[in-house]
Amino acid sequence: MDELTREFLIESQEGLDRMERCLTELEERPRDAELLGDIFRSVHTIKGTTGFLGFKRMERLAHVGENLLGLLRDGKLLADNAIITGLLRLMDALRGILRTIEMHEHDGDGTEAEQDSELIGLLEKLQRAEEVVVVTTDVAEPSLQAEQASSALPMIRGAQIRGAQAVEQVIQDADTAPVPVSAVARGTTASDTTLRVDVVLLNRMMNLVGELVLTRNQILQATAQDANLTLLSRRLDMVTADLRESVMRARMQPVSNVFSKFPRVIRDLSQALHRKVRLVMEGQETELDKSLLEAIKDPLTHAIRNSLDHGIEPPAVRVASGKDAEGTLKLRAYQESSHVIIEVSDDGAGIRVDKVRGKAIERGLITAERASQLSERELLQLIFLPGFSTAEAITNVSGRGVGMDVVRTNVEKIGGKVEIDSRPGKGTVMRLRIPLTLAIIPALIVYSLRQSFALPQGALSELVHISPDRAVSAIEWMEGTPLYRLRGQLLPLIFLDRLLCPEVRAGGLDAERNLFIAVLDTDGRRFGLVVDGLANPEEIVVKPLSAVLKSIGVYSGATVLGNGELALILDPGAIASRVGVTIRIQEDRVGEEAQADELADGMASRYLLVESAGRRAAIALGEVLRVERIPRSRVEYLGRRPVLNFEGQLLPVEDSGGVLAAAGSDLDAPVTVVVCREGSRQVGIAVSHVLDVAAGAELYEAGSRQRASGVTLLRNHVTGVVEVRDVPPLPASCDLELESETLA
Amino acid sequence: MSVRISIHGKESALTEICSVRVGQTLFGVAITHIVEIVGGAHPQVAPLAPEFVGGLVHYRGEVLTTVSLRQLLGMARREGPQDILVLESPGGCFGLLVDSVSEVLTVCSADHEANPSLLDERRGALFAGAYKLREGLLIMLNTERLSPEWLDSECVDRARAMA
Repeated sequence: MDELTREFLIESQEGLDRMERCLTELEERPRDAELLGDIFRSVHTIKGTTGFLGFKRMERLAHVGENLLGLLRDGKLLADNAIITGLLRLMDALRGILRTIEMHEHDGDGTEAEQDSELIGLLEKLQRAEEVVVVTTDVAEPSLQAEQASSALPMIRGAQIRGAQAVEQVIQDADTAPVPVSAVARGTTASDTTLRVDVVLLNRMMNLVGELVLTRNQILQATAQDANLTLLSRRLDMVTADLRESVMRARMQPVSNVFSKFPRVIRDLSQALHRKVRLVMEGQETELDKSLLEAIKDPLTHAIRNSLDHGIEPPAVRVASGKDAEGTLKLRAYQESSHVIIEVSDDGAGIRVDKVRGKAIERGLITAERASQLSERELLQLIFLPGFSTAEAITNVSGRGVGMDVVRTNVEKIGGKVEIDSRPGKGTVMRLRIPLTLAIIPALIVYSLRQSFALPQGALSELVHISPDRAVSAIEWMEGTPLYRLRGQLLPLIFLDRLLCPEVRAGGLDAERNLFIAVLDTDGRRFGLVVDGLANPEEIVVKPLSAVLKSIGVYSGATVLGNGELALILDPGAIASRVGVTIRIQEDRVGEEAQADELADGMASRYLLVESAGRRAAIALGEVLRVERIPRSRVEYLGRRPVLNFEGQLLPVEDSGGVLAAAGSDLDAPVTVVVCREGSRQVGIAVSHVLDVAAGAELYEAGSRQRASGVTLLRNHVTGVVEVRDVPPLPASCDLELESETLA
Repeated sequence: MSVRISIHGKESALTEICSVRVGQTLFGVAITHIVEIVGGAHPQVAPLAPEFVGGLVHYRGEVLTTVSLRQLLGMARREGPQDILVLESPGGCFGLLVDSVSEVLTVCSADHEANPSLLDERRGALFAGAYKLREGLLIMLNTERLSPEWLDSECVDRARAMA
């Protein structure tokens, strides 16, 4: 394909994207001259270039479209629903032709002419409707004029134009003249400062930067002794870091590139489903790696379909339950440390947990026994299991039992996570956590077979260490299947060395060595991967593997570690499939093994049992994100409040137990901080030890049926519950400088 | 790079061949096929990979899969540094792992002879005849059939034939 055609394809695609955005906006503001001007220009440009390049079929279509848009722009026609639908169809047809040109380098072989002429007929009919419209608007015209005049008057007065005659003159010109000027001005500035770059070239740059980072590491090590070179190598270090940042930024695109497709999707769906929906989009400027942006398009579309079909009720139902007839669908994107969060929320009917439970049991996805142990939040996550659908009737849009599991699989494929929150009658929020970039992921480096492997952090839920003296007794066997009791539930184990090197398989456990179990969660499957050792977590640059190694089905890529060693990246999902860990088996086993005392208590809720300065306290497990063990010196003070600096984010630390003070002046003494989630913020709680995880039971005040708040019964002891939401937030003003006086 | 010359009235061509050593045998690869020679590499073992894979090496920002000529010919794995010829294949670059790379030889097509019929089928596919040098034989390698993709599909075919 020649350069000119390629250029034309890219330009036209961009023009049509712009047209799509404008068309959905036009529906709300059908008189907006600027929008109409924009759309007109898109089609006009396409028509001009196609004529020049000789794509006759496309030119004919664009020509009819241009005529119709001309009438709209000149105000001779009003963009009603029928016209917008017609223009959307025109846009789809033009897109189709662009695809044909891309594949065959011509715009169709005449067989499509029939469907073209049908569309052309439609567009021409819409133009003729002008006469009808003109007749009707004849009556409406004066009032319209007056309306425009009254709104335009104050501005014009400000511009010091006097005299009614002059004002009228200006009003008539105002409709057409000033708008294109401003729009043209915008167009030129955009093209002057931006440049198109091939993604292949960007990928190559990313690779080279990775290489540079490695070389830098080696130079830093080599020059550490030489004072003359230290300054130079430090400068190299800084420049490399900046360069890496810039190349990564170059691959970023705003999420609006994907969001802009949704007004159309929602328009079509709400018409098909007879819903009234208002779309609100926030944080469109949030940026994400281009390849990730592509990957979330489908999951987001699925999520939106679900919201419209199952979430937002028909207008009549909404009015009956006291809501606005028009439902609100909100798309929100924002960055949170190294992730971008995308929320799809609606103010619809919400998900009824009992319905989810009933359906999951009916479909055999979970046993009734197991279901009774799950919290409401956990039950909600069942909708992500394959084969789950609560739709009463299978509609065109959703209800075939695919959808939510596709959403989860797709998001997990790119190292992200999905979670759902719902309140019956109030609405549903679905949250996608997407890593900022695919090329660099956080991973835990593990050892096995005297070799390093990288384990993506996304799938890792916790780590268990088994000391040599416990190794033999801690691992139990069920007919050759190793199992570990993790807080009373059986966790199937996979030994990494046996998996990778079948010759090791023979024989039992050789005792007297440390074992580490990485508890992994992937596609709803949970298992423990047994490795010989752990190293530090590292941000790794993912390199693709050759087809031969990828087809083994255990590795997802390779990476070069900081010390220059190569490490293969393990793919937890593929390992689970290879060994045959399934959701069902695990669920059944859990059902059999569930501890009796927990069952008796009805598993009200689970708590992390901690000890803080000699006293036991409980923290609701649902709020706990992770437990950090850090040297005392990492805790800094903001005024009088202890804070932790995590990857550039400030975490307030609650120290009501006086653990930090007790650690005294020893800066290397380790302190334990439980990191909790409270709404959208995170807080840390300093504790002496983490003791256990246990189910708590509710307590009632004697003589009343009133639930005692703030306490729970854990292991037959009354234990105080730490209220995470009582931790006061940090001062809002940012000008408070972080004093890094590390309490000496 | 070949030059046509005439010896004893017979038309023949001169070709430059990079000679490599595996065990006691001298093998040859036409230098036009070689992208780069990397010396003293320590490939990282890739567990569960097919037998012919010699491991992974870091090469210009990419992770390169290597084919071990040693393992391909059924010889024992070798410890210590090895040399790598970076070759191009339709599926991308790959490395050919050899014990050591020796000098570049200029050979004459008149000295070339096709594979003998005694050679087993597998070796027959991998070798492209030999040059009769004064010091001994220089066995030419068929670089197209050394790529991991080709060897992998051949493995599958052989397994199917056995079944």
